[in-house]
Amino acid sequence: MAANYPMNNSSVRNRIISLCAIVILVIGWEWLSRSFNSRQILPGPLDTLNSLINVAGKPDFLSSLGFTLLRGLIGFLFAFTGAILIGIPAGLNSGIEAGFKPILITLRSTPVVAIILLALIWFKAEQVPVFIGFLTMFPILAINISQGIRETDTAFIQMAHLYHIKKRRILTDIYWPSILPYLYSGISTAIGFGWRSVIIGEVLSQPRYGIGAMMQDAQSYLLVSEVIAWTVIAILVSAVFEWIIRLVEKRSIRWKQWA
Amino acid sequence: MGLKLENIAKSYKDRVILDQFSLEFKPGSITCLFGPSGCGKTTLLNLMGGITRADSGSVSGFPEEKISFIFQETRLLPWKTVLGNVLFPLIGKLPGSQAVETARKFIRLVGLENEEAFYPYQLSGGMKQRVSIARAFAFPGSLILMDEAFQNLDNTLKYNILDSFLKIWKEDGRTVIFVTHDIDEAVKLGQEIIFLNHNPLQIIRSVSTSEGLSEAVKSAVREIYYP
Repeated sequence: MAANYPMNNSSVRNRIISLCAIVILVIGWEWLSRSFNSRQILPGPLDTLNSLINVAGKPDFLSSLGFTLLRGLIGFLFAFTGAILIGIPAGLNSGIEAGFKPILITLRSTPVVAIILLALIWFKAEQVPVFIGFLTMFPILAINISQGIRETDTAFIQMAHLYHIKKRRILTDIYWPSILPYLYSGISTAIGFGWRSVIIGEVLSQPRYGIGAMMQDAQSYLLVSEVIAWTVIAILVSAVFEWIIRLVEKRSIRWKQWA
Repeated sequence: MGLKLENIAKSYKDRVILDQFSLEFKPGSITCLFGPSGCGKTTLLNLMGGITRADSGSVSGFPEEKISFIFQETRLLPWKTVLGNVLFPLIGKLPGSQAVETARKFIRLVGLENEEAFYPYQLSGGMKQRVSIARAFAFPGSLILMDEAFQNLDNTLKYNILDSFLKIWKEDGRTVIFVTHDIDEAVKLGQEIIFLNHNPLQIIRSVSTSEGLSEAVKSAVREIYYP
C-alpha cells in the first residue's frame, strides 16, 4: 500500500494561495468601503464584524438561525424521501425514468423566484421556505440517485443473480452502496442550493423568525452592515454543512482510498 | 445426473458460434476447454451457467446444479471486506454461524486469514483472485465454472494460486469446468483437456492428462494450433 501522507507540498501551497486570496479580498473590501466614504452604503470588514457580534447577541438570533435551519431540514427530509422513492425506481427502469425526467429537468431549470411567487399565493408564510427548499433539493437528489443506480456495475448484478441472491439484498448490498458516492455529491449540491433558496423564500415570505426575514428587516432600515453580517452567518452555516457532509461521507464510505 | 450439451446451435447476428455442438462432462473432475481467444469458449460457459440461451439443442444437468463462478475480473464488491465478500452468497443459504464458519474456512484455505477484514482496494490482484476462489468454493454448490480466471496474474503468482486451487479442490471434489487459452494453466489443472477450434466451435481432440503427460499435451497444442 502506498504511504499515506496527510498533506503533500502542493496542497500546502494551495492552502497558502487560498489564504492569500482571502486576505486580498478583505483588504480590497476595506479599500472599497473607504473610497465610498460612507459606512452606510458599504461598511468595511471591521464594521461588519461589529455588526456580526451585535447581531449574534440579539435575543432573536438563535430563534432566527434555528427556524431557518429547521425549515431547511424539513425541506431536505421531504426532498430526500421523495428522491429515494422516485430516484431508485427511475434508475432501475428506463420507462419510469422517461416519465419523470421532463418533470425533474423542468423543476431544476425553473427560476426559484417564480416558484416563490406562486408559493406565496398557495401557502402560509411559514411554509413557503420549506416548500421552496423541497422543490430546489428534490430534483437534484432524485437525478443523482437514479444516475447512481444506472451506473451500478452490471457485472456485480450478474454475479448476484448467478449466486441466487434475493432481490432485496441486491438492492441493499449492491445498489445502495454503489449509489452512496452519487448520493453524497447530490446531498452536497442540493444543500448548497437548498439553503440559499430557503433564505430567499424567507426574504419574500417574511415569517416571524428566520435569517431571510432578518435580512429583509435590516435592509428596510438601510442597515447594510447587518445585512452583510447575516450573509456571513449564512455562508458560515453552509460551510459547516459541507464539512459535516464530507465527514459523514468519509465515515460511511470506508472501502475507498481517500486522497 | 450427467452434465450434457446436446446439438447446441448458437449464433450472434450472422456469426455462427456453435452448430450441432455436443459435449458431456465427467462429474467430480476438472475439465478444461482449451482454445484460441474468441472461439466461443465463454459462450459455452454462459450456456452452462444459464447466462445465455441456446438457439436450439438441449442443456441438461446444469439447470439443476448450484453453480459457483470465478470470473476473470474478480467481481468482488468493493464495499465488503474479504469476509463480507466470501459470506455474500452464503447468507440465506446457510444458518448464520455456519455461514461465517464456512467462509472463514475457505479464507484460511486460500491463505488470507490475516486479511479477513481488508477491503478489496487494500489487496493485490492475486489476493483478490484468491478471495474469489474462496467465495466460489464456500458457496454450497456442486459445480464451479471458471472463465480465464488466472489470466491477469504473473507466472509465479499464477502457480501459487493454481496450487491453492488444487489443494481446496482435493478436499472438496466438486465438478470444475474452466476455459482458458493458457496451456500451462490447462495442464496444471485439467484432468481432461478438450481442444477446441472456431468458426463454428469444434472439438478437435480430447486428452486426459496428468503431470507426467504435460509434454504430450504441449506437443498436441503445437500440432493443432501451430502446424
